[in-house]
Amino acid sequence: MNLYLAAFGFGLVSTSVLAIAAVGFTMQFGISNMINLAYGEVMIASAYAAYSLNSQGVSIWIALLAGAAFGAAFSFLLNRILYAPFQRKGTALIGMVIISLAASLMIANVMLPIVGYYSVSYRQGSGSTFHVGAIALTGVQVAIIGVAIAMMLAIHALLTLTRLGKAMRATAANATLARNCGIPTRRVIDTAWLITGALCGVAGTVAGMNSESFSVSSGSGFLITIIAAAVLGGAGHPYGAMVGALLIGEVTELSAAVISPQYKEVVAFAILVLVMVLRPQGLLAKRGAMAAAG
Amino acid sequence: MPASTAGVADGGATSAPSTGTAAPPMMSVRDVHRHFEGMHAVDGVSVDVLPGHITGLIGPNGAGKSTLLAVLAGTLPASEGTIIFDGADITRWPAYRRARHGLVRTFQLPSEFAQLTVLENLLVAAPQHRGESLRGALLGRRYWAADERREVARARELLARFSMTAKESDDAGSLSGGQKRLIEIMRALMLRPRLLLLDEPMSGVHPSIISEIASYLETLRDEGLTILIVEHELHMVERLCNPVVVMAQGRVIGQGSMSELRRQREIVEAYLVG
Amino acid sequence: MTYYLTNILVYAGVDIIACLALNLQFGVSGIVNFSFIVFQAAGAYTAAVLSLPPDSANGGFQNYVLGAQLPFPLPWIAGAVVGGLLSIPVGLVVLRRLRPDYQAIAMLVLSVIVNLVITNARPFLNGAAGLSLIPQPLSDQFNPYSAGYLWGYVGAAAVCALLVFLVAQRIVKSPYGRTLRAMREHELAVTALGKNPVVLKMTIFIVGGVMAGLSGAVLVQFITIWAPSTWLYPETLILFAAVIVGGRGNNIGALLGAVLVPVGFEEATRYLPQFGPPGLVPAFEWVAIGMLIIGFLWFRPKGVVPERPGRIPAASAPGGGRLAEDSGAR
Repeated sequence: MNLYLAAFGFGLVSTSVLAIAAVGFTMQFGISNMINLAYGEVMIASAYAAYSLNSQGVSIWIALLAGAAFGAAFSFLLNRILYAPFQRKGTALIGMVIISLAASLMIANVMLPIVGYYSVSYRQGSGSTFHVGAIALTGVQVAIIGVAIAMMLAIHALLTLTRLGKAMRATAANATLARNCGIPTRRVIDTAWLITGALCGVAGTVAGMNSESFSVSSGSGFLITIIAAAVLGGAGHPYGAMVGALLIGEVTELSAAVISPQYKEVVAFAILVLVMVLRPQGLLAKRGAMAAAG
Repeated sequence: MPASTAGVADGGATSAPSTGTAAPPMMSVRDVHRHFEGMHAVDGVSVDVLPGHITGLIGPNGAGKSTLLAVLAGTLPASEGTIIFDGADITRWPAYRRARHGLVRTFQLPSEFAQLTVLENLLVAAPQHRGESLRGALLGRRYWAADERREVARARELLARFSMTAKESDDAGSLSGGQKRLIEIMRALMLRPRLLLLDEPMSGVHPSIISEIASYLETLRDEGLTILIVEHELHMVERLCNPVVVMAQGRVIGQGSMSELRRQREIVEAYLVG
Repeated sequence: MTYYLTNILVYAGVDIIACLALNLQFGVSGIVNFSFIVFQAAGAYTAAVLSLPPDSANGGFQNYVLGAQLPFPLPWIAGAVVGGLLSIPVGLVVLRRLRPDYQAIAMLVLSVIVNLVITNARPFLNGAAGLSLIPQPLSDQFNPYSAGYLWGYVGAAAVCALLVFLVAQRIVKSPYGRTLRAMREHELAVTALGKNPVVLKMTIFIVGGVMAGLSGAVLVQFITIWAPSTWLYPETLILFAAVIVGGRGNNIGALLGAVLVPVGFEEATRYLPQFGPPGLVPAFEWVAIGMLIIGFLWFRPKGVVPERPGRIPAASAPGGGRLAEDSGAR
């Protein structure tokens, strides 16, 4: 029993990391109607950006901000330079997937010569350990959960209270209609990529903080868990992604305890495939953009 | 000789009364519903589609007309109700099976096979072509060449009839909106349909071609083809359709010839004016 | 020199088979099979475990199933068959009316899952270490290092490639191929014309799977090793690059793409001086592959050899065309 409780605790941390990432990812899908397969690589790149400061002695929390900024800028440029032009050209959805996959491989392989193959770790004090029953988490882990909660609240506030947030929701629902109502969709989309890019950057850095080490190859593993969380909650729905992250985060940690740590990711991936095939609109969403036209 | 469209002919009556014809209905729609997430797009529709007539389906936006057409064609499943086509209960049949039995639909948005030529577009529709299965393909050209010759001849007849012969080798994607519509109709005709479901065939078509398309439809009806057409252009409906079914909010609120409908309640009037 | 040449040619043969297969699935039929490499791997593993002796041999340092020591050409045939069989469950599960980019992702994820599972399930196919010392065909009768043997292998690979090409041609030039292309353009319309899209997709998916399996079998008995690191998901993307560059939907294009991208690329970069730290050149290759894909999709999406429909002989009398003389706005 204690094993499961401990796993549950770790699950909360996984959930936190995943939630930040998945919300950013799913919002990119919602606003641009494309699956950004380069998301995992941008996360890792941001983690490395943070590392470049942190390894020089900068506090990990400042480095986190750097990671966020890096992620924001990178994602913004990625959309502006690569995705948006192809979309304007009328490229089909499947072409966009191929392009984003190509981009992800390019980013990974540009990073490799720069940062090297070997894994790196952040310099961070792990802080005191907190115990709640059988759940034991380090200070850093608790902080990560805090960061996640803060970001979720911030996103919620953005979407419901601000004009920008409402413009984003309108653009995601129907870009043409939004434009006709006078919403400057191009600027809204650019800003959305900045914000989701920041989420991506934070997620990458925080994932690095939660792992003993990370390297360029961590990116693809992240990506699939993120897609799993996003799809579970209904692609394009940020609140769904939060719930999806919780489910995936807990299920992976619990299955690592029950089955074996090696198959942790396999479970998440299997869930993803099952959901995509059986209920592509996600567990929560009513009607997704997921069903084929008809 | 134009390609014939075998159908249950009713003498091709153009101004027959809307009810009480002797021939049994080509299609009987009985209390069909289509819900999706609490929305009743089609909310208990019962109509009979009479053979040899062009039946119009009109109503304001959101009335459920296109949804009903999709349910009849099998593109969407009916949530409740029964559809009888030519004596068979097709309610659970998938769309392709209905097409094979002569119930063919077209689409509101252009649906030509853009990177295939006009002739190829028609040939794809050819029913029961030996070369169309994997096995047939692997057996080689000699196995299916005769079928191909036959279908090419049929397709060329249709192209000639619709005066599109010169476009035979052009990529279908390069044609104008009106020409694409004609391709869709010709494609449907290759299947020897008995009931043709047209989803807003005039939409996106240049006004000067609309009349042409209407003439083709009239000729096809005169040859015995049954047509159900969802349409917004009321003068087209006026010209072509008898009977006309009016839908609003998922239900049928009136049926009859246009003149009869005009005489009915003001509510119907409100929709006809639009 | 012989070794170098025969090496390129066998790889060319294998890549040609693979590109023809992917072209049928993706170029002609529009199925974005991001899990393609799994089927090649399945063929390779099958050929391997059917030609290897039982795993206690060679000191028992490997752990795998079967070990049937079957003679040539049985492992190749079996590899092709398994590629086809594996396509059935995968196809049935994934090829439904999903939005196409979802389908692609599902197959990508599948590719990752399978690789992970094989890597971790050690007794099945020897896990991460993979299989080695795989016997070469007829190696008990001929010296596998002799020039004659190597050229013989090239010949066998060429025969397979030719066979696959002929099958692909028959498919593409037939009404079946035409219907597949129509399905790629507008699946719903094809359904409305009485064609069952599931049957169409499944048949071509299986055909592609058979070819993919064959390519794996031919490759594995040449290089005599096979490990999960050989078939990671990005390998599929190289083949996609080949099909996109060469020309979608066109068998000649697929052939050209196979020669230009997997083969031409590897060879070209072999001649580049090893600049920078080790591992820089392979990384550079991947970047180049990505740029190739993006560049072609932007500037020349149809590829080097665009798809040209089979020419149907013109009618003897051109017939009336007043309506056809359309300026677009009659």
